[in-house]
Amino acid sequence: MQPAGSGPMRELFRKSPAGIPKGESPGANAEDNSPSENRQAEGLVVNRRGETPVVILSKRVLTNSLFEAMLKEEWRIHSTMFGSAGFALFPLLLVAIATAGALMWPFFSDLLPPLTAVGLLHGGYLLAGMSVGGFGLFGREVMNRRFGQASLIAYSSRSLPVSERAILTAFLLKDTVYYLAFWVLPFVAGLAFAAPFIGLPLPLVLRLAATLSLSFLLGLSLVFLLSTIYVHSPRALLALFIVAVGAAIILAGPVNAGIVGLFPPLGLYYQPTPLLLLVTLLLIIVPSAISVRFLKVEYREETRRYPGTLDNLAGRLAWLPDPYLVAKDALDLNRSEGGAGKVVFSFLFPVAFIWIALFVLHRFIPMLSPLMAFAILLGVVSSTIYNWVTEFDLFSSHAFLPVEVKTVIRGKLESYGLLNLVSVAILVAAGLGTGQAGLLLPALLTFASLSFYAVAVTVYVGGLSPSVMLYNAKVYVPYLGLITPVLLFTLFVSLPNPWFALTSLVLIPAGWFVLKKAFTKWSTVEQPGF
Amino acid sequence: MQGKGYREIWAGPKGPAQEGGPVRRARLAKPAGFAYGGIPLEHVIEVQNLTKTYGDVTAVSHVTLSVRKGELFGLLGPNGSGKTTMIKCLTGQLKPTEGAVRVMGIDAVEEPVRVRELVGITPEQETPPSFLTAEEYLRFVGHIRKIPDIGEQVSFWFDFLEFGDKRDVLCKDLSRGTRQKLMVAQAFLHRPGLVLIDEPLINLDPLMQRRIKDYLVGYVKGGGTVFISTHILGIAEEICTRIGIIHRGNLVRQGTVEELRAASRSIEEAFLDATRGERPDA
Repeated sequence: MQPAGSGPMRELFRKSPAGIPKGESPGANAEDNSPSENRQAEGLVVNRRGETPVVILSKRVLTNSLFEAMLKEEWRIHSTMFGSAGFALFPLLLVAIATAGALMWPFFSDLLPPLTAVGLLHGGYLLAGMSVGGFGLFGREVMNRRFGQASLIAYSSRSLPVSERAILTAFLLKDTVYYLAFWVLPFVAGLAFAAPFIGLPLPLVLRLAATLSLSFLLGLSLVFLLSTIYVHSPRALLALFIVAVGAAIILAGPVNAGIVGLFPPLGLYYQPTPLLLLVTLLLIIVPSAISVRFLKVEYREETRRYPGTLDNLAGRLAWLPDPYLVAKDALDLNRSEGGAGKVVFSFLFPVAFIWIALFVLHRFIPMLSPLMAFAILLGVVSSTIYNWVTEFDLFSSHAFLPVEVKTVIRGKLESYGLLNLVSVAILVAAGLGTGQAGLLLPALLTFASLSFYAVAVTVYVGGLSPSVMLYNAKVYVPYLGLITPVLLFTLFVSLPNPWFALTSLVLIPAGWFVLKKAFTKWSTVEQPGF
Repeated sequence: MQGKGYREIWAGPKGPAQEGGPVRRARLAKPAGFAYGGIPLEHVIEVQNLTKTYGDVTAVSHVTLSVRKGELFGLLGPNGSGKTTMIKCLTGQLKPTEGAVRVMGIDAVEEPVRVRELVGITPEQETPPSFLTAEEYLRFVGHIRKIPDIGEQVSFWFDFLEFGDKRDVLCKDLSRGTRQKLMVAQAFLHRPGLVLIDEPLINLDPLMQRRIKDYLVGYVKGGGTVFISTHILGIAEEICTRIGIIHRGNLVRQGTVEELRAASRSIEEAFLDATRGERPDA
């Protein structure tokens, strides 16, 4: 990864107009940057106060240079983590998935109506925009874990003569260009490839490209706005949330604005009118402009203190093989941003989505047992909990201690097993709540088999860094290849009789085999340092 | 620490356990490999023809080196010369591309965890787990290293390095200097016979640097062995008994401080002579 202050950033500050004495530092303090005292020269502004000239950049040149530097930085972050070739393949993977999905569409169009699918796509890109923006603003903790003391250009206003406002402007532009190029366009390209074969008109594909991009940008600008409001006043954010919910209820109810009013980018897909386009653009530009105008950056300097609880916690977990490793994972989860709740909530959201989707599907496929299908999917989704328990440390923290990679992985799996109790509780609640207690036992066994197998595969392909490795297409494709057939087969055999899903018990020895292979694999390769 | 004798300070509560517990003695008692093949047992580090490459880059090239029990050996070299790679190979954190490494009589390639059981290591980058407090981290290390009197050891190190007021602070909120103290402490917790320290004093204030330098000298006088890597010549000249200079992955000079001084007037001159190839004033 490129540190701030090197590469393009270094070039940025090398540019010096004639007449500036050699060797003068570009470092400026806030007082010296008064615009009224500056004179612009070829994109550079020279401030001469007293005997110490200071060089700063005009806004336009600064934003352009920051934008370019941030683009390179974003690429280097990803290519450092995944390898240039691996990351370059990711858009191609998206193209392939979109093409394959679109080609299979005719077989599934009865199950998932086009309107629902298009709505889900737009919703997905809205969430993608929100997550990208969220990572940019709050991802420092994750970055520091990945790269040691990471320094991104976004955090460089304290050490370089660059205003936070200029940085945020460039950051918004960078996210817009970079992620549209990497996430939105490949997906649309995939649809375009399949369009002639499934009778999808090309203008509709282009419209989808525009509205998906707008959905993504809406998510991005909303997160920036929400974070800006939060920094000024958490109460104001709460008030805004209440107002937004109230407005949504009024729009959906008395006003009957429909999807056009509730989610303008999607509305624009159905009814492309200039007015709706204007409204959508305003919904993106205004929050972004407000965020830039009212930006307030708070660098948290607080020192967090805790009474020592590791020994106590490890004592309570003494029945596990690695109580200290599990206790450490628990403290990591609990003390990191968002606390342990972030795991539960990030997990509950897709689980709730699956539960609702299954009941919708049940209307089209009456032979589908929602509880058993839920257990199968829950098993695979639960394996993502392993990503959380590996999120807060690297093996390099343990590399100089007498501990093996496989011991650390085993500790993570113990933590994973404990957190899976949440999934078990959800499954039991779902079974009892829907009056399917009779199916609970096979559902629980099926869930356990799938969960064990899926986490074994995750460990095999991703080791102690699955959340990084799985972004690499070269890793993600084998992961999909090992999980998808098993998932589809188990779902398929459960259709005639939900008890047939118990064939998945064979996945326990299979998972055990994969896990043993994984231990051998990660014990013999040098741990990636990222 | 005033009032305590030198020997009381250097050893911690109990002093270094050079030969360790019964398990360690049993393992070391067995003649094995090249430790008994002509190289005397008192060599705690034995490196033969060590080479480590990363793709096209050769970080360490054909290094042969040995460190005797009771030495304070300094590996000197410019930034990027291969010092950290060398320490990682010695402690089994990296596998050599070529060559043999034996530490405390154990093959570091075959039994890396066993080597790390016996030695203490202070890595170059201070990377304690972010969300444990300083004390929790030392206790965590104590558990992994199975140290019975960990409470006593932890208290000693908080007092000795004067950071007891930070014992309940999350590691991620500690200053770099305090994190370095923490990493120094964790390396000595189990009173190892051999400690390998990568850039030991770089973030510490002069008073703490003095204290740790004195500690290392006392540690060696008491029978311990220290291997430090640094690019700060003063540290090496002041406390090391023997020095190796590594440049572009090659061990280009080796000898006692007196031998290097005799050949080049001073350690600085020896260092500049050894690395002159890439210096602009050469």
